[in-house]
Amino acid sequence: MLKILLPTIMLVPTIWAVPAKYLWSTTLSYSLIISLISLTWLKSSAESGWSFLNPYMATDPLSTPLLALTCWLLPLMILASQNHTAPEPISRQRTYITLLTSLQIFLIMAFSATEVIMFYIMFEATLIPTLVIITRWGNQTERLNAGTYFLFYTLAGSLPLLVALLLLQNNTGTLSLLTLQYTPSMQLSSFADKLWWAGCLLAFLVKMPLYGAHLWLPKAHVEAPIAGSMVLAAVLLKLGGYGMMRMMIMLEPLTKELSYPFIIFALWGVIMTGSICLRQTDLKSLIAYSSVSHMGLVAAGILIQTSWGFTGALILMIAHGLTSSALFCLANTNYERTHSRTMILARGLQMVLPLMTAWWFIASLANLALPPLPNLMGELMIITSLFHWSWWTIALTGGGTLITAGYSLYMFLMTQRGPLPAHIISLDPTHSREHLLMALHLLPLILLISKPELIWGWTA
Amino acid sequence: MADYREAPLATRPKTLDPNEYFNLSPEQRRAEEARGAVRANLKRQYQLQLNNPHRKELIEDPALTRWVYARANPYAHFRPTNKTSLLGAMFGVVPLFALYYIFKTDRV
Repeated sequence: MLKILLPTIMLVPTIWAVPAKYLWSTTLSYSLIISLISLTWLKSSAESGWSFLNPYMATDPLSTPLLALTCWLLPLMILASQNHTAPEPISRQRTYITLLTSLQIFLIMAFSATEVIMFYIMFEATLIPTLVIITRWGNQTERLNAGTYFLFYTLAGSLPLLVALLLLQNNTGTLSLLTLQYTPSMQLSSFADKLWWAGCLLAFLVKMPLYGAHLWLPKAHVEAPIAGSMVLAAVLLKLGGYGMMRMMIMLEPLTKELSYPFIIFALWGVIMTGSICLRQTDLKSLIAYSSVSHMGLVAAGILIQTSWGFTGALILMIAHGLTSSALFCLANTNYERTHSRTMILARGLQMVLPLMTAWWFIASLANLALPPLPNLMGELMIITSLFHWSWWTIALTGGGTLITAGYSLYMFLMTQRGPLPAHIISLDPTHSREHLLMALHLLPLILLISKPELIWGWTA
Repeated sequence: MADYREAPLATRPKTLDPNEYFNLSPEQRRAEEARGAVRANLKRQYQLQLNNPHRKELIEDPALTRWVYARANPYAHFRPTNKTSLLGAMFGVVPLFALYYIFKTDRV
């Protein structure tokens, strides 16, 4: 555990000490080495499920895929940010990478926390670097509004969580995840207990986001710079999912009755946000709403509390993290060339940048859950376990899959096919860095086809 | 005015000139010419930018900027009318209760 955490912490002094000429290559190779070492976490050996224990942190098959995803994302973020920060003074570039690294540190500590209060503190701590990234390095004036929405939605959701966790600590005397799974389920029957249940979950539902509380997400994703969008879409949303999966163990008897409204919000959100995607004109906004749609499926999968639901949710979280981040990188390549996110302004790019079209194609196919990619495996497991929960959900999830295919193809056809606009007379050729970025996103996704055991959690 | 087009190489008779046909006053004719001049200037600006070989960025279109802003900021200018309230209820309120009823009766 410490063999990953301490090098990540030491990356911060490295960023400030390295000569300017070597800043980006050094940070890239350093974070890539850390991410390759983090892959050793995937081989978990202990029978109790928890491996690599130290008094405060541990990994288990639920947190390991998310940790590997987090560590894998840092070199990708550094690779993506290299171009748009190039005109800035060197100390600002160093600050930017320091923010990304500190976000990484908080995320590693959050996913590997064994004590729920530590998870909570790290959950809140990730808000600060993300807020700075969005409001300081975003591109439009709306970034202030976006940062405000992001901060206050998440904070408003998580303050009840703090109260709920302190109450739990009072009742059971411990909040260590290692032992909480063995505490007998509590007698929860009064109205205050129902409020406690809602308090435990609200923060994670806002973070996921659940359809009713999703307003912060399109703003934050659209206004953030590329590294901010990548980390938001790939990892920060999954913090909400991971928190829900951990907390569900303790919320036992009440969940059967109280989860209905949230499952309904999640499923209806799949349809609604999918339909909004079909009508979007802003490319990043389309990808942001598609994230809400996929996360709605994940939330529904977690709330029904079956083993296939959990497995499907975890697989979909990892696959969606890689896919969504890849799509944001592709949107960024467009943005860096035309400085506009409007889709109709940059069409027919297949004629000009055919290799990038190949990446757009693979990423769009991954987004619409093409077999045999893990996106489909996750979605299929969630859809089948929801079908078992109630037959009528197939109308919503099936319609959701249809709409997802619709808007993914719409996005591909709008940006790549069609007539090249007459007013575009010069576009930079695709940099090798961009090809490398896309390859590093999609290669793990394709490799996971052959070994999905790595990401399917405790069950099966 | 009907879809009348003069024969090639012929000129339009004076009585079919739109200004005469519709009996436009001199102020209206001057206003029409002024508007035509503004339009021609805008087209000239666009053509200058379009054909400039050193241009690397997109041509900024204020109408497009306004349209994109309007698409991105619906809530700030939202006004509850009969239509919007009905749509909101139909897609945002009724389905939630309908789904709750369906799932509850299905799963008892």
